[in-house]
Amino acid sequence: MNFKKIVFRSCVLLFSVLLVGGFASAAGAAATINVGALYDMTGATSDVGRDYALGIAEAMHYVNDTGGINGKQIKLHQFDYGYRVPEALTKYKLFQRLGCVAVLGWGTGDTEALSPTVTKDKMPYVSASYSGHLTDPKKTPYNLFFATDYSTNARAAITAWFDKKWPKHKDYGKRKPRFASSYMFASPYASAPIKAIKDQATILGFDIGPDQDVSLFAIDTKSQNLALKDFKADLVWHGNTTMSVSATLRDAYSLDLGADHIINNWGYDENLPRMAAKAAEGAMGSAICAFFGEKVPGMDKVVAYAKKYNPGIPANKRLIRTVQAWADVLILREAMIRADKAGKLDGESILKLGFETMKNFDIGLGAPPVTFTATDHRVAGAVQVYEIKDGKFQLVEKVDLKGRWPEKWANEWIGW
Amino acid sequence: MELFFMTITTGVMVGGIYALIALGWVLIYKCSGVLNLAMGELTLIGAYASLAFYSMGIPFIPALLLSLVVGFILGILTERIFLDKLIGEPVLTVIMVTVGLSFFFKGIVELIWSTDTRVFEPPVFPLEPFRFGPIVVGQVYLWSFVAAMILLVIFVCFFKYTRWGLAMQATADDEMAALSIGISARFVYAAAWAIAFMAAGVGGTLLGNINGLNISVGYMGLLVLPAVVLGGLNSVPGAIVGGIAIGVMQNLCGAYLDQYFPGGVKEIAPFAFMAIFLLFKPYGLWGWERIERV
Amino acid sequence: MSTTFLPCGVYHENYKQDHAWWQTNFIKSKMFLLFISLFFIIPWVSDTYWLSVCNQIGYTVLGALGVQLLIGFCGQVTLGHAAFLAVGAYVSTLLVLEFPWPALLVEWGLAYPISIFISAIAAGFWCVLFGLPSARVKGFYLILTTMAAQFITVDFVITQYVSQIGGRGQAFSLPPGTIKVGPWVIDSDIKVYYMMIVLVILCVVGVVNLLRSRVGRAWVAIRDNDISAEVMGINIIKYKLLAFFVAGCIGGIAGAVWISNLSAISPEHFPWFWSLWLVGVVLIGGAGSIHGTIFGSIFMVVVMELLQMAVMPLADTYPKLLLDFLFIKESAFGLAICLFLIFEPNGLAYRWWQAKNYFNLWPFSY
Repeated sequence: MNFKKIVFRSCVLLFSVLLVGGFASAAGAAATINVGALYDMTGATSDVGRDYALGIAEAMHYVNDTGGINGKQIKLHQFDYGYRVPEALTKYKLFQRLGCVAVLGWGTGDTEALSPTVTKDKMPYVSASYSGHLTDPKKTPYNLFFATDYSTNARAAITAWFDKKWPKHKDYGKRKPRFASSYMFASPYASAPIKAIKDQATILGFDIGPDQDVSLFAIDTKSQNLALKDFKADLVWHGNTTMSVSATLRDAYSLDLGADHIINNWGYDENLPRMAAKAAEGAMGSAICAFFGEKVPGMDKVVAYAKKYNPGIPANKRLIRTVQAWADVLILREAMIRADKAGKLDGESILKLGFETMKNFDIGLGAPPVTFTATDHRVAGAVQVYEIKDGKFQLVEKVDLKGRWPEKWANEWIGW
Repeated sequence: MELFFMTITTGVMVGGIYALIALGWVLIYKCSGVLNLAMGELTLIGAYASLAFYSMGIPFIPALLLSLVVGFILGILTERIFLDKLIGEPVLTVIMVTVGLSFFFKGIVELIWSTDTRVFEPPVFPLEPFRFGPIVVGQVYLWSFVAAMILLVIFVCFFKYTRWGLAMQATADDEMAALSIGISARFVYAAAWAIAFMAAGVGGTLLGNINGLNISVGYMGLLVLPAVVLGGLNSVPGAIVGGIAIGVMQNLCGAYLDQYFPGGVKEIAPFAFMAIFLLFKPYGLWGWERIERV
Repeated sequence: MSTTFLPCGVYHENYKQDHAWWQTNFIKSKMFLLFISLFFIIPWVSDTYWLSVCNQIGYTVLGALGVQLLIGFCGQVTLGHAAFLAVGAYVSTLLVLEFPWPALLVEWGLAYPISIFISAIAAGFWCVLFGLPSARVKGFYLILTTMAAQFITVDFVITQYVSQIGGRGQAFSLPPGTIKVGPWVIDSDIKVYYMMIVLVILCVVGVVNLLRSRVGRAWVAIRDNDISAEVMGINIIKYKLLAFFVAGCIGGIAGAVWISNLSAISPEHFPWFWSLWLVGVVLIGGAGSIHGTIFGSIFMVVVMELLQMAVMPLADTYPKLLLDFLFIKESAFGLAICLFLIFEPNGLAYRWWQAKNYFNLWPFSY
């Protein structure tokens, strides 16, 4: 009985502390520019989301340190939404209440779901999702990002394999190469480029096999790999993030699949050779900017700020995701500076007077110069495809899709 | 044909691990009548504990043994703190407390270790597979199956040949009679939970060795429920057979049915199968039947 | 709990008074005050944040009402109710977005109310489908089949098939302005609040009426001892399936109403965690009492909001707390359930009943 009383009273105490703490918390509104940010530190894509979130915070510090937006400082409201669409929606409402002029988003699912709403609210939404479905200003004018989109990257990757690896194969010239995809069917992120990559496979002349469903959380992919082995695939596209891609590669290796792998950019970073070891040798993927620590203009600032604000994480554990975060923040900064110089800092002007005036704007950091127009939000037409050799990344080919298929690029490929 | 044999082999191997976890579940039910929905999280805790020990540099087998000790202590603590107070309460209350426990454990595990996949570095089992003719079997699977079988044999011997095991069997059979002989029911309950924690911990460690450890190992632990339904809630051999059967069935469905149902039936096939099975044989293959004719 | 005692000095003189909903003038005035505060005071005083909390409470009440019916009044344990909320929400969304309504209906704003009605029926039938095993199994096995219902419906049918209808991607977008009830466009928290209050009151009144009738008595008989109920002549299969149907209907209404609050809907809105949350609400509030549903909902939602508000200022000093807040929420939920079930197994409604009786019988409450 005594024990019960003690527990009961301590619960009451805790509850009242919570009550008091809850009501005593004050909401402070700063008279600066508010920008909202969503990230995933705890959900299905947290393996890549954590590094990205750190990068956003560090990049914002850099922006504020170098004069902000024509002198005005930016207050960043960052929230973890665990890759759950409901939380993203609630947080978006919170951003509106806080008076944010732009949002740095994360995942494809929630970005695409929020797209009609941000269009109606005229809120520029700079996402970490590079889905091809967000590149057509006729449908999604307020969705923007600095990188080449997933569909373009996928097309480039399969083209690079076809150009450089297939000619060295022993069956070259005797039959069509066999291609299959392995990704999470239900995830909008993973399924975004599938239609495009199948279209490219048809253009190049592949035999396309059945898709394999691999969850973003998967750690056992034996049956999917067995099915791929049954199809005798030569090339497999991986659409997920690093966690599940490394699991699939390991299973493919231990089951002796014997195929080459091309990987979406969110599954392709410095963690992959660490997690999949020998199984990741020869895996190819598109990288939309330089890897962390590479010698490109602007990387020294990234490394310096990473060390300054997160000294607990050693430099060799930081990923390309930090660099991607910096790139998104840098284009948002540029757009806001341009809009502010033109006189208005609201959503519509950030889009029309900021982003859509960028022509070949160079962010540095190894990313291609970005161009946004009122009819096309695809930033560039050429993608660099890498492969892993001895645990390090080596350039295979820079594929210029716009140059090789100009009419298709201009007329058919936008928006999917 | 090759695909068929490989799927069955992989299924049997994974099923061995499920059988181990199912054994722990049946034990708790037999001894104390508690339907434990927290089995997934018990698996997680044991697995993460051995991962933590392994990352500190301790070799694999001692790390596993240390995590067994951790599981033992946690089992006794859980039983004493949460479940002792519930003796005599209706079934739903007890089940919901286990559900609450499962969320509590899950939250704690996520707080400490967060949600991305951790790998056992350096790898415990080499990546190279064994080849038996046309059948390729990963080493992890083979060794996990061997380990699971050894543990099952140890547990069965424990129940048959040691005093404590016999005491637990007696309590499971008829609690009143066991109490009248002088067996302490509280000891038996605590022992049941401790053994379940240990079995689940080993199962989780083995599962985590396959490709990495993350929260979804906990969902695999939930698969133990179709396994025990299949085998019968009170039957230890039923749990073993049920576990292996579910492993095989899951892999077969994954390999053959995935093309007809886009999106993978692998996760829900055991549950759908269980739902249908319950309509025909509600007590499982070996369960004790309660005859109620109305 | 049995019925509340009448206050000292109050007695009835005819059957009409005895059957009345509100049996004393005091209760009638209490209800009038409640009505005023719900419809006028709360919307007038609260800002959008607290209105959204009220909407969340209303949604939880509607969801938990179905679960309470099944667990508390009919004795069928269900651990998969979120699936039926999902069915209601998706049917309603698809009807509003994809169905070719005649222009007259859209103009008059009847598309959404009709879709609520249809989704309630659809969810009811879906619930009956998964309630069919209750004809053969009970107790633990029924828990497993309802769990199977949850996984099969949300993780399989909705995620793989229904979500892919029409557009691409897992989430259906509902741009603000697509939902109209009569002449009002539902696009702000306060309008959702009014719609929610009306529907909550209707559903609660409906359920309480059912419980006062022959059907309700049959349910209670099944809960208490289903074998004797069958012996007495109650067709338990029919009443069990009826319970599942009504619970499914209410769940469908809950889901359909919820979509007006969101700008997009995805299967992640209805995870297994939500089913367990609803059962937790019912248990914390007290199984077997409608008051309990409402108290439980208010308690759980408010506690979670307070937890969030309390964590925010702490987050400046311990940023890791904000990161891990979702985990803290989960473990807090687990712990709350365990503690409530250990120390307060009859729930909050029991304490309310005790308090009411104390005041009713005062000064003779011994």
